[in-house]
Amino acid sequence: MSAPVATAQLELQGVTKRFGGVAALDGVSFSCREGEILGIIGPNGAGKTTLLNCISGVHRLDAGDIRWRGESISGRPPHRIASLGIGRTFQVVKPFASMTVRENAAVGALFGSAEAHLPPKLAFQRADEVLELVGLAAKAALPVTALTIPDRKRLEVARAVATKPRLLLLDEVMAGLNHVEVDEALEMVRAVHATGVTIVLIEHVMRVIVGVCERAIVLHFGKLLAEGEPREVLRDRRVIEAYLGERYARQQEG
Amino acid sequence: MSTPERSSFTTRPDASGRRWRRIFLIIGAAVFVYALLAPLTSTDAAQAIGVPLLADRLWFRIATIIAMFAVMASAWNIIGGLTGYAAFGNVAFFGIGAYTTGMLIAKAKWPFFAALPAAPLASAAFATLIGVPLLRLRGHYFAVASLGTGVAVGEVIQNVDFRGHPVFGGSTGLFLPIVGRDITYFYLMVGAAVLTVAVTWWVLRSRFGYGLIAIRENEEAAAVMGVDTTAYKVSAFALAAALTGLAGGIFAQWNVFINQENVFPIEYNIQMILMALIGGAGTLFGPIIGAVLLQLLIQFLSGSLPISADIPFVPADARPVLAQVILGLLVVAVVVFVPRGVIDFFGGQSRLSLGYLRRSLRETSV
Repeated sequence: MSAPVATAQLELQGVTKRFGGVAALDGVSFSCREGEILGIIGPNGAGKTTLLNCISGVHRLDAGDIRWRGESISGRPPHRIASLGIGRTFQVVKPFASMTVRENAAVGALFGSAEAHLPPKLAFQRADEVLELVGLAAKAALPVTALTIPDRKRLEVARAVATKPRLLLLDEVMAGLNHVEVDEALEMVRAVHATGVTIVLIEHVMRVIVGVCERAIVLHFGKLLAEGEPREVLRDRRVIEAYLGERYARQQEG
Repeated sequence: MSTPERSSFTTRPDASGRRWRRIFLIIGAAVFVYALLAPLTSTDAAQAIGVPLLADRLWFRIATIIAMFAVMASAWNIIGGLTGYAAFGNVAFFGIGAYTTGMLIAKAKWPFFAALPAAPLASAAFATLIGVPLLRLRGHYFAVASLGTGVAVGEVIQNVDFRGHPVFGGSTGLFLPIVGRDITYFYLMVGAAVLTVAVTWWVLRSRFGYGLIAIRENEEAAAVMGVDTTAYKVSAFALAAALTGLAGGIFAQWNVFINQENVFPIEYNIQMILMALIGGAGTLFGPIIGAVLLQLLIQFLSGSLPISADIPFVPADARPVLAQVILGLLVVAVVVFVPRGVIDFFGGQSRLSLGYLRRSLRETSV
C-alpha cells in the first residue's frame, strides 16, 4: 500500500444515489483526513443528507464506492458501519421517546463502535461523561419529551459521541438555534473534536462553517461544485450563484 | 404497535408513590404465595391431617389457565411491548409447542418430561424461520402477516396427509396418555409464568432489552447507533415463541387431548394482546396483572366461576355473548382512558382520578 494516501480516513469515489429518475447524488468524490473538521454546504435539495445516509449505510449506493481506512464499506448495514466507528446524528432528531436523557445516551455506549459496546453499568457511566461534555448533565434524569429543541439536538450529539466514533457525521445540529445557542453548540463541536474525533458537518449557518471547518465542500444538484478553504469556497462565483442566483452573483462582481 | 409516549405529567414516583408501590408489591406477593400454597390443601395428605380446604380442583384449574395466559401475555410483551412489533399470530407458537410435545408423547412414546423441552425449541425455530422475512414488515403490515401465519399453521397441521393418513392426527386430534394430576400442571404452569417474568426482568436490564426498546422507539436511529436490528427483532420473536411454546407443551399433557380448535384458537391472539395492553405493555408485571384481571373477568362473565352470580336480565345461555360485548367495551375504555395500562396506578406513577382520565383522553385523541 502506498504511504501518502494512508492519511485519508474516509474516501468517496463516484458515489451515486438515484431516487426514481432523480440523481440525488451524481458521482461525488472527496476524501477526509483523520482529525479534520470538514464542512458540507449546499442549497436545499443538494443531496447533503443523502450523502450522510450513504456513508452511514442507511441508503445503498447505485454506483461508486466508499472506503474507510482503505477498505470498501459500501453495502454494509448501518450497525456494521457504526461498529467501525462512524457515528451520526439526524437532522430531524430521532430520540427514543420513552427513555430518559441518560438512557438515550447510554444506548450509544451499549452499542456503537467496537471501542464502545460497554456492559450496562459502564455504559451509564459513559453516558454521564458524554452528557457532561454536551452540557446536558443537569437534565440527565428527565424524560426526553421534556427537552427543548436545542437540548434535543445536543442529545443527538451526545448519543452519537457515546458510541465512541472515530468519525462523527453531524447533520445540521445548529439549524434553528439562536445566536447564543450556536456559540454553545460550536463549543460543543470543538470539545468533541478535541477528544480526537474527525468531524464531517452539514450546516447552513456560514458562521459555523467559517468558524470551525478547516475545509468545506459544496454540493449542488447532487454534484460536487467546489472544494477548499471555507472562506475561499464561499467567495467562489459558482457557489454564490448556486445559493443566491446568477443575477446576484453578477451584481457582486459588477 | 408503539407504546404511548410517556408524557410530561407522569413524573418519577414521589415518596407517597414509592409507599404505594411497596404496598402493592407486598399485597401482590401475599396473593401469589397464597395462590401457590392453597392448592396443597386439596391433596390427600393434607386432607388426611385435617387441613381446611382452601382451594378445590375447580379453583386451581382456573389458576392454571390464568398462569397459562400470564405466560402468553408476558411473552407477547417481549415482541409486542418491548420491541414494538404487534404480533397477532403468537397462538401459532402455543399450538406448535402443544403439537411438538403431543406428537413426541403420542406417536414417539417419549416420556412427558423429555418431550416438554422440545416444545420451546420447535416454536423458537419456527419463529426464527418466519421472523426473518416477516420482521422486515412494519406496523399494520407485520400485524396482518403474523395473523395470517398464525391461522395458516393451525390449518396446515390439521390437514397435512401422508399416503392418505393425517400426519398430526388430522381433525380427530391427538390423544395423550394421562400422566400426573391437575396440581402438577398448576405448578408447572406457574413455573413457566415465573420463568417468563424472570426472563423479562433480565431482558429489561440487559443490552438486549435496551436494543429492543431502541428499535421500538426509532428503528433507524437504533441501527445507526449500532443495534443489529434484524438479529435483535428475530431473537425477541424467537424468545417470545419459546416461552409461548413451553406453555403449549404443558397444556398438551395437562389437557391430554389436543386438536386445531383447542391449541390454535384465534381469540387467544386477541386475549394475550389485550392482557398486555390492559396491564401495561412494555412493563415487567403489567401483562401478569392484565392476565389475572382479564381471565377472571372472562371466567366470571361466561359463568365458569363458582362465585358467578346470576346477572339480571341475562339468561344463562347468553352469558358468553355478554362476555364478548363487555370485553369489547372494556378494550375501548382502556385504550382511550388508561393507555399505559392499569400498572400505572400500581406503580405509584399516577393515581386514578377524574383528572387522570381527562388527561389520558387528551393524549389519546386527536
